[in-house]
Amino acid sequence: MTILNETLQEEELKIQTPSISRKDEYESVGKSVLRKDSVPKVTGKAIYTGDLHMPGMLFGKVLLSTQAHALIKSIDVSAAAAVPGVKAVLTSRDIPGENAFGIAIPDQQVLAETKVRYIGEPVAIVAAEDIFAAEQAISQIQVEYEPLPAVFSPFDALKPGAPAVHAKGNILYHTKVRKGNIERGFDEAAIIVENIYRTSGQDHAPIEPEAGFAWIDAEGVLNVFSGTQYAFRDRRQIAIALNLPMNRVRVANMTMGGGFGRKDDVTAEILVALLAWKTGRPVRLVYSRHEAMMSQTHRHPTYTRVRTGANKEGKLTAMEGVIYGDTGAYASLGLFVIKKMALHLGGPYYYPNYKSDSFSVYTNNPIFGAFRGFGVLQAAVSHEGQIDELAEKLGMDPIEFRLRNCLRPGLSFSTGQLMTNACGIATTLERLQDYLVENGLSIELHPEVSA
Amino acid sequence: MDENNLIKMELTVNGEAVSMIVKGGRRLLDFLRDDLHLTGTKEGCGEGECGSCTVHLDGQSVLACLTPMERAIGCSVLTIEGVGSPTNLHPVQAALLDEGGVQCGMCTPGMVMSALDLLERNPDPTIEEIIEGISGNLCRCTGYKKIIYGIQQAAQELQAASPAGTVKESVE
Repeated sequence: MTILNETLQEEELKIQTPSISRKDEYESVGKSVLRKDSVPKVTGKAIYTGDLHMPGMLFGKVLLSTQAHALIKSIDVSAAAAVPGVKAVLTSRDIPGENAFGIAIPDQQVLAETKVRYIGEPVAIVAAEDIFAAEQAISQIQVEYEPLPAVFSPFDALKPGAPAVHAKGNILYHTKVRKGNIERGFDEAAIIVENIYRTSGQDHAPIEPEAGFAWIDAEGVLNVFSGTQYAFRDRRQIAIALNLPMNRVRVANMTMGGGFGRKDDVTAEILVALLAWKTGRPVRLVYSRHEAMMSQTHRHPTYTRVRTGANKEGKLTAMEGVIYGDTGAYASLGLFVIKKMALHLGGPYYYPNYKSDSFSVYTNNPIFGAFRGFGVLQAAVSHEGQIDELAEKLGMDPIEFRLRNCLRPGLSFSTGQLMTNACGIATTLERLQDYLVENGLSIELHPEVSA
Repeated sequence: MDENNLIKMELTVNGEAVSMIVKGGRRLLDFLRDDLHLTGTKEGCGEGECGSCTVHLDGQSVLACLTPMERAIGCSVLTIEGVGSPTNLHPVQAALLDEGGVQCGMCTPGMVMSALDLLERNPDPTIEEIIEGISGNLCRCTGYKKIIYGIQQAAQELQAASPAGTVKESVE
């Protein structure tokens, strides 16, 4: 019996868990602490990447693909290179190292070589004496595309004979989570609810669009400055693309004007590094809002079918779900985001029997990657919907139903991981209950939910 | 104008007279950031949606990304650099720090400029009026509450500091 096992584990846990000493007073816990960088920020003195300037600096600009899925037949840069003030027009042929990068797997091209996979994929880059010359040069680059059939939803991408976004197929990753006996779990249920949930894509829209600044110092070291979430990972990827030893590349993190997960990926870093390396001059590349929305990552749109069962006593007995996550044209962190969604599909509740499958699927949409919550938000839409509907059908108070089923120390998560001290859902719900009572409030479900 | 479209920019910026010959036909934002290197004024969208580039032109808040630079000739421009310094913060700046209204900081200069404009016109705003006053400024980190409380706190401090009963005349 599962319940017996859980009880035993809870007993064992008491022995294993070390006691945590608590102090009455901490240096910063429970206190309002001034951010170290907030005085420069509030006076406009903080330096962001786009604020950098150096004598002899060139302005970078990127040409983005106008096709969702197409072969590149030819790129003619002659007119662009002839624009006065233009110092470099680079395509994939000019990349000294590997034309591949990616935060999880290197499936992304620095500059598109033979094929583009989404509208907004970088195809060519320009460095010029001023931004107007750079913009003019970009408009003069002639790219001849041969359009290919494209797929814009995971369902289209998974159809037999669907256009292949990548040669290895359109499934990036399949996560399976299995716990207990799902058939028995549903046999034990007095009530089962089944629904389909859909969440949309979303742009992080950090107020600072992506930017990079690169220059070569007197010792020949390529310096790249950017507002990035992971300078060392950027450095590794720049070195590979430029075929430089790691000790010739230095990445410095500038003040970052909002990242929210999206600046975990390489953004402008390799492109601006290439331009500085080829011209020998400092280069600044700042994306416009439009370019940033087109070419950078977003939150995954997801499609979920989930079935949840509970017994007459109001205890959850089983949950089964299938998730399709649209990861767009390249992996970014799409395998981990959608993997995490499979683990968290049940939310902070205890299910003796749990089964979930998630598929991270390539399409010709923009790239979807890390964004605050990392897949857990999309899961919350479905598990909270399921819990509310079950409580309604059982005629139970939604908070009471949650308290009866929430994870507590000694109970296990979907993966079998046992909860220890850090499990505050019950306390949170109890405080919410107290708050409602104190303020004479009650929970009313939205009419559409209870309908 | 000559073929390089050079123009003479004569104006006052943060109380100092500026006179320089620069390339014309650009935005006030480019003049401030690229020619004067006053990079405290930020560009978030370049199309008047986010308010990060808010500056004061003759005492009125404007979006520097939608203002042609030539429009500022003969005018007085105030940017974040002219508001307060790290050792001498303006009450609005100090209150934003106090309330935790500064995170990534990219919207902050524009928020400060909009708040100053609001408090010039309305020294004792309600929460609703503060929300209206910064409705042209987007913030992606804070969720606005701490910014709103910061502006409210600054308004109270400024009110307490000014002689009782006086109501500021609106600027020009």
